[in-house]
Amino acid sequence: MSVTPQSLKTLSRAWEPMSYGFLDASAKREMRRKMIKAVAVPGCQMPYASREVPMARGWGTGGLQVSLTLIRPNMRIKVIDQGADDSVNAASIRHFLARVSGAPTTLDTLQADLIQSRHRIPEEKLNEDQILVLQVPNPEPLRPVQPNMSVARQMHADADYGRMWLQLYEQIVRSGRVMQGASYPSMVNGRHVMTPSPIPRWDVPKLNMAQHLTILSAGREKRIFAVPPYTRVEPLVFDDVPYKVEEHHDLTCSRSGAKGFFMNEIPQEDGSSAYELSDSGFGVKHIQQGIGDAVTLGKTWYENGEMVE
Amino acid sequence: MAYVATRGGEQAIEQAERLFRAEMGEITPERVAEIKTALPYLIDRVMGEASLYDEDLAALALAQAGGDLYEAVLLLRAWRTTQPRLHVARPIDQGTLFTHRRISAAFKDIPGGQVLGPTLDYSHRIIATDVLEGARYIPAPVTPAATPAPAHQPSVAAWQAENDLVEMPGFDETAPEDIPDVTREPVLFPATRAHRLQSLARADTGATLALGYAAMRGYGQAHPTVNELRLCEAEIIVTHPKGTAFSAGRVKVSQAEVVSKKGDTLELGFAATLGWNEVKCISAATLDLNSKGAPKGSPTEEEFYLYHTEGVESSGFCIHFKLPHYVTFQSSLDAMRSAKKTSKTAEKTSTSKEPAQ
Amino acid sequence: MTLTLDAPRIVTTRPLVTLRDVTKTYGDVQAVTRVSAEVFPGEVLGIVGESGSGKSTLLRMMNLEDTPDSGSYTLDLPDVQGNLFELGRFARRMLCATKIGIVYQNPHLGLLMKHSSSGNVAERLLIAGERRFSVLRDKARAALAASEFPLERLDAPPIELSGGMQQRVQLAKAIALEPALLLLDEPTTGLDVSVQALVLDTLKRLQQDRNITMVIVSHDLGVIRTLADRVMVMRRGEVVEAGLVDQIFQDPQHPYTQQLVHAKL
Ligand SMILES: Nc1ncnc2c1ncn2[C@@H]1O[C@H](COP(=O)(O)OP(=O)(O)OP(=O)(O)O)[C@@H](O)[C@H]1O
Ligand SMILES: [Mg+2]
Repeated sequence: MSVTPQSLKTLSRAWEPMSYGFLDASAKREMRRKMIKAVAVPGCQMPYASREVPMARGWGTGGLQVSLTLIRPNMRIKVIDQGADDSVNAASIRHFLARVSGAPTTLDTLQADLIQSRHRIPEEKLNEDQILVLQVPNPEPLRPVQPNMSVARQMHADADYGRMWLQLYEQIVRSGRVMQGASYPSMVNGRHVMTPSPIPRWDVPKLNMAQHLTILSAGREKRIFAVPPYTRVEPLVFDDVPYKVEEHHDLTCSRSGAKGFFMNEIPQEDGSSAYELSDSGFGVKHIQQGIGDAVTLGKTWYENGEMVE
Repeated sequence: MAYVATRGGEQAIEQAERLFRAEMGEITPERVAEIKTALPYLIDRVMGEASLYDEDLAALALAQAGGDLYEAVLLLRAWRTTQPRLHVARPIDQGTLFTHRRISAAFKDIPGGQVLGPTLDYSHRIIATDVLEGARYIPAPVTPAATPAPAHQPSVAAWQAENDLVEMPGFDETAPEDIPDVTREPVLFPATRAHRLQSLARADTGATLALGYAAMRGYGQAHPTVNELRLCEAEIIVTHPKGTAFSAGRVKVSQAEVVSKKGDTLELGFAATLGWNEVKCISAATLDLNSKGAPKGSPTEEEFYLYHTEGVESSGFCIHFKLPHYVTFQSSLDAMRSAKKTSKTAEKTSTSKEPAQ
Repeated sequence: MTLTLDAPRIVTTRPLVTLRDVTKTYGDVQAVTRVSAEVFPGEVLGIVGESGSGKSTLLRMMNLEDTPDSGSYTLDLPDVQGNLFELGRFARRMLCATKIGIVYQNPHLGLLMKHSSSGNVAERLLIAGERRFSVLRDKARAALAASEFPLERLDAPPIELSGGMQQRVQLAKAIALEPALLLLDEPTTGLDVSVQALVLDTLKRLQQDRNITMVIVSHDLGVIRTLADRVMVMRRGEVVEAGLVDQIFQDPQHPYTQQLVHAKL
């Protein structure tokens, strides 16, 4: 057998300014390990190193690291911010993901393999082949009752959620209802309370027993957690005070005519408000359908403004 | 159709960045070189906060960010992310540091002597307006000392330990590859000493000063005395796979040791960073000194100061508030309106103070 | 002196609380030294002693907030076994939350000053797993009423209440779950005489109505005399004398107790 002489050149790969998908292999390995852990203990926050990426902390760096780890050249990616594909930061993240991975992008929820999102879950149902990556500014649902991270960690370990419930009690006493807006604290798999990230209350029930995998990642705070497919996600509510989503059931989108989905309120000069679908990709499809284009509207979580059980 | 505004978003961010860059004009190797030679202390600060020692890259980052320090540090940290970790250099003994400046406020004189070195401490801070009128500012020549200060100095704390005044931490036997690395793992609390010192080493100078200053003003238990402050160069000794140890170069480092009386001994606080940055080292060492037993939520509590002096995280979070938040706002608005409605109906239907259920 | 026809409440049965050789040091300070004690079901044990004698420390350990250097602690209750000092953090928390109530010397230790008073009480019920808002409210109201707390201040935060009212909120919180053991650390200190009398009345009535086992710490021998069946005298961490209240007050044996009783009389 002939042996080719080894040299530095034959032993090493050609120099590249960065690895595929920006993150180097050791960072990706850590991400994979922590994602598996997060899936294994649904809703439990796993600390991770969280590398610095070419985007400012607080701008989706946690979600970005997950996406960069999962991404493959043939994966179709969708990025939304506040439900919109055209939000400037969504555009920036989408552009970056495509640039470092060569992956194709899409605005259609049904076409996407991977969806990175800030503050919304699309209105069209996700299926088992899709992954939703939610950007998380503050991973700690206990922060309002316990700002100290190490104490809060202990409280999760003990399932010590009395203060959390007390907070809800106090809100009802003071205001007659639970005042939590977005980021509604939710019990995952009957064990860990998590923040679903600042999605509206409208979106939280979509996580319950969902077919898709949701990974939630906070880059600045260095915590990752997950809701695996078919996992219970229950908003914290008293048995006799029902959970209330935003009262958007009867609102109609002024652009597409769609009704019964989460809306953006657009203040009008005459003092009134107009509404438009917050899920912009979904809105575009409605408009296209309206003018006779061939589009596929997916099954939705809400029908006629009500969550389908 | 107005709805399909995706291209619009992409164009807008593209043009906004161009506008920023257009103001700064061309970035040339000359500009980078000029920044490097003209602003060594700024370069040091940026290298320290980036935890990346490369003067050229630091100068380039400053040029590219137009001098925005947080942006420059982020550029370097993000670049650092892509780099492999090849080797762990040998620990550095204080006595082997090539010392340029070394002072102690604790003693009038110390073994090895007080070495003032380069400093503006005693300069009169008068701005050289002549330069704006066309004059040149030519620094006066330095007269060398009759006997040059020794390049290597023992540590002051070592002398104190010999005299039973201070308890030195024991030698840490951790194998090099097992030393916790803050760039590869999250800091959990209570943090390992390695994580604490590494985090302080790359902490934001301004934030470290703010919290250290709070401790100095009395929001901490211990009042620092600067036992020893050093500006020096450290030899980076690495070991070749074949066993030969050799120097891979020198880096500028600064370090501070502060002490405070605790019962009949002195307690030590320590900090060091890449580059020369005295304010940061003294502040960070003061925080280290005050950590023990600090109340939760106080500025000298480890968790509090390590989280809040992390410049990349804090600046990023601060500017993220510029991002749209209209979904969360809509969600709160809904809760507010419904609460208002409930309280109005409650007022109408009943006079009892009992909250609606 | 009038004769009462009440049977003595102490009956010969198994003790609810048994402490054996409990020792706790803080650095050089021997806070509690080899203290052994028993408290019987329905009994009120008084603890007296000078400042710094270890009374609060002992009570904190009985509330499982603090672990001694050595010694054992058992509670004779269904599903509660072994030396409680050896329980893990989680088991401790659940036991304290459901079986033991405490009123602290300092209301700031026992109350969330900025939450509603009813919420302070409701928190105990929440920890025990109650998830119905209406039940939380009813039970919190009932416990506050039993503590003679003015119900029109139901949702006022303790920070806005007087010291006596704060103690009542603490008391309501402590009894909300019908605890097996009620620990009271100087519940009347700092209150004026009339409010003090009110709190004492409430405690007495609670004791009579519910037959709760209590341990009460007080500087005030009058308080102990009114409430306790037996009394334990502590000095520098040690129990110097223990016995029936009347016996100790009428015929103190230890010189320290003699001093204490005579100083008071
Ligand atoms: N956390 C602590 N750390 C250090 N020493 C403590 C601590 N708690 C109590 N001690 C010490 O233990 C001793 C007993 O204190 P403790 O509070 O139990 O006394 P006490 O009998 O309740 O006094 P008082 O009547 O004044 O309330 C005191 O010397 C006290 O200083
Ligand atoms: Mg006490």
